[in-house]
Amino acid sequence: MQILTQLIFSGIALGMIYAVIAFGYQLTFQTSDTLNFGQGDALMLGALVGLTLVGLGLNYWLMIPLVCVFGAFQGALVERIGVRPAIKIKSEFGWIMSTIALGIIFKNVAENVWGRDDLKFPSPLPESPMHFLGANVLPMEVLVVIGAVLMMLAVEFFNRKTIYGKAVVATFNDRDAAKLMGINTGLVITFSYALSSMTAAFAGVLIAPLTLTGATMGAVLGLKAFAVAIIGGLTSGMGIIVGGIILGIAETTTGFYLSTGYKDVPGLVLLLIVLAVRPQGLFGKNIIKKV
Amino acid sequence: MKRNHLLLYVVGVAALLLFPLGITNPYYIHLLETIMIYAIVLFGLDIVVGYTGQVSLGHAGLFGVGAYTAGVLVTKLGAPLLVALIAAVGVTSVFGALLALPALRVTGPYLAMVTLAFGTIVQILINEMDFLTSGPMGIKLSKPPLLGHQLDEREFFWLVAVLMVLALIVVHRVLRSHLGRAFEALRGSPVASDCMGVSVYRYKVYAFVISAGFAGLAGSLYAYSEQYISPNTYNFELTVLFLLAVIMGGRKSRIGAMLGAAIIVLLPKLLDDVVLFRYVSVALALLVLATALIGIRRGRTTVQQMAIPVVGSIALAGLSFWLQTMTDWRLSIFGVIMLFVVYYLQDGIVGFVRSALNLQRPKATEASTVVAASAHGDAVTTAAAGDHGAEILNASDVLMQFGGLKALNNVSLSIRRGTIHGLIGPNGSGKSTMMNVLTGIYVPTAGALTFGGRSLVGRTSSDIALSGIARTFQNVQLFGEMTALQNVQVGLHHSFASNLFDVALHTPRYGRESRAAVERAMGLLRFVGLADLAFEEARNLPYGKQRLLEIARALALDPQLLLLDEPAAGLTAPDIKELISFIRKIRDHGITVILIEHHMDVVMSMCDTVSVLDFGQKIAEGVPAQVQADEKVIEAYLGGTAA
Repeated sequence: MQILTQLIFSGIALGMIYAVIAFGYQLTFQTSDTLNFGQGDALMLGALVGLTLVGLGLNYWLMIPLVCVFGAFQGALVERIGVRPAIKIKSEFGWIMSTIALGIIFKNVAENVWGRDDLKFPSPLPESPMHFLGANVLPMEVLVVIGAVLMMLAVEFFNRKTIYGKAVVATFNDRDAAKLMGINTGLVITFSYALSSMTAAFAGVLIAPLTLTGATMGAVLGLKAFAVAIIGGLTSGMGIIVGGIILGIAETTTGFYLSTGYKDVPGLVLLLIVLAVRPQGLFGKNIIKKV
Repeated sequence: MKRNHLLLYVVGVAALLLFPLGITNPYYIHLLETIMIYAIVLFGLDIVVGYTGQVSLGHAGLFGVGAYTAGVLVTKLGAPLLVALIAAVGVTSVFGALLALPALRVTGPYLAMVTLAFGTIVQILINEMDFLTSGPMGIKLSKPPLLGHQLDEREFFWLVAVLMVLALIVVHRVLRSHLGRAFEALRGSPVASDCMGVSVYRYKVYAFVISAGFAGLAGSLYAYSEQYISPNTYNFELTVLFLLAVIMGGRKSRIGAMLGAAIIVLLPKLLDDVVLFRYVSVALALLVLATALIGIRRGRTTVQQMAIPVVGSIALAGLSFWLQTMTDWRLSIFGVIMLFVVYYLQDGIVGFVRSALNLQRPKATEASTVVAASAHGDAVTTAAAGDHGAEILNASDVLMQFGGLKALNNVSLSIRRGTIHGLIGPNGSGKSTMMNVLTGIYVPTAGALTFGGRSLVGRTSSDIALSGIARTFQNVQLFGEMTALQNVQVGLHHSFASNLFDVALHTPRYGRESRAAVERAMGLLRFVGLADLAFEEARNLPYGKQRLLEIARALALDPQLLLLDEPAAGLTAPDIKELISFIRKIRDHGITVILIEHHMDVVMSMCDTVSVLDFGQKIAEGVPAQVQADEKVIEAYLGGTAA
């Protein structure tokens, strides 16, 4: 029982990371119907840049805003190079290929800059576990949950309460109408990519102290966050949190009771099942196609 | 012309077979062998990517399934070559069907991610199921014996070459057949395919299964060729490479697939040799510069457009002199190539060369036979005889609700056989919704629909289409990249009983059906006056002609009931006159017509009965004159309260 509680706690922490990355997918999907297939690599870059900054003697907490800024720039770059031209030339899956390509390039650059080995990220909080409900919880895990929720709330607040946020929401509802109302939808899309990569980079520095940091850390995280976005529904904020937690717990329990080698399987299988049974996600709305 | 082509093929195959005699270095033999194996995968991948227009990131996984099926069968059971190959194709096809299940529900980026997830699962399973696959250790094999004779490196090369040529022929035949047209149609317009009786679900699964079969064959050959397989080969990088190869070589082209295979096999070798790479990158930069200069001179592109590729390729050349070794930057260079292909080489090398040399796409082989086709009768089949005037379609109290909106509010219709039934009403009154309900695109919230005594509710669009209801669309839904003739041939899909084997072997049955379909299709095009434009791509036709083509395609279904959704929209006055005359002709063949139209003169002059909808409700029904005089109708159209 104690072990199970502990697995659930770590599952929740992991799940919140997935939720934050999935949130990034939602942001871009809402404004432009596209996703960054290199989202995992945005996370990886955030973590590695964070590591370098900490290595230079910068405090962990001061490093976070810098990494967020870096993430935002990286996202804007992806949009400008990978997505905008592809949408412009109306290439059917051009943006899929180009975001994959950019992801590959980022990963390769990271390999060459930071090396191919996984690095240890110093934890900003004490590494001795706290006792809670009879289980051991790492302080870092608590931070991950709090940080993830705060990040999502901040972006939601921005979208709902500010005039710039309303432009984002308007673009989501009807891109062409928003454009005709004088909203620079191109800029909004760039901005949504910046936000999306920023959340990913933020997630990267949150999770880095719990895992190892390295060029390859992003790929699987990105894929599983996509699973979360699908399971929860690409339009539902609540859905990704629930989806993230389901997946996180499924993963930690599989890893413990079955084999760590299989830990990625349940999430991906869940993804396939959800898509086969309820493609709009557990919390998503059904869209009626018009002929 | 045709003989020249044949000669070219023979020379090509002969050169391939003689290659190991001329060049005895096993390294080069193995290299070419790998290219051929990849080409087989790409033939299959092109079916999914090029024809059905879906992105698959799962083909490395399928390739791995094929390799491991062969590997496991050989090491655990000592299976002979032929058994291993056939089993690999079979097992991988089953995996392809599994992969296609979620693909039934989703498209585009979702599907890409799903296939990626599938590929990742396959890799994990290969790694973890070490009782079967020896896990990360991998499996060692040796070159197989065939019919009691141990194959050496060279003989195995010939085996691969023969199998590749066979794969090429099969793929080519499949894609030129009604199956290939179905794949292409579901890319062009899924809704229209369903309404032509070509089930999108079924053909997507077919496409994935056939595609997986080729990946499996290639995988098993790869296992023998490398003599060692390990899980890490079948990773994300390989899957992206496959996709890159298809797009770079050129979609919908077998030459493109082979070219793509050659590039992805040779490029890593090239990057390993930095000196050679320097030469190649300088040559490439010069080539891009020359293309840009010629392009700008001829006014095809602008300086701004060409600036990025020119600067980029020069930068790449500069980079190659600066770096001591390219190996570490291999993936970045792949990434840059991918970006380049996406932006500047969308149609692939084959497409680029074709447009540069102004070559046309090769036309369907049947085309030449068509011209000779006789012009007997008109091609519209007469609907099955029934009591003229008896009820063919009955809708009672149909309710279609979208959230709070009742698009159709308890509408009842009774259509009599052999009549033209008009359906009019202001915009947004529910006419098109009615069409969509009748053809199974929407499932009504409540109410009953019977056609020829059978209920339509809950049946799929393709099933309804095959039972005799054909339609056109308000927003034209043609298969844009296909020719007019091919569009009509998709409508004739139901007339084929041939299966995959008939197509692959070109059995007499297939030949007969295929010839009959071409003749019928030409006849139908002649009927709507588009015979001269048979080989024009549908998207290049003027709007009015596209509408006519849709009618021809619908007629190909041999319908009992034809639904025409605003056929006269966008037509000129003389065209409308012609349209009226051939809708009458259609009726004279016993086909019942439901006509939605805003041109009142068309409706009033042709229809036997007219029903008027307004805000989802039927407000009037009767003979045209009666409806025209109805106060409610006048009010609905002109507004205000009728006095």
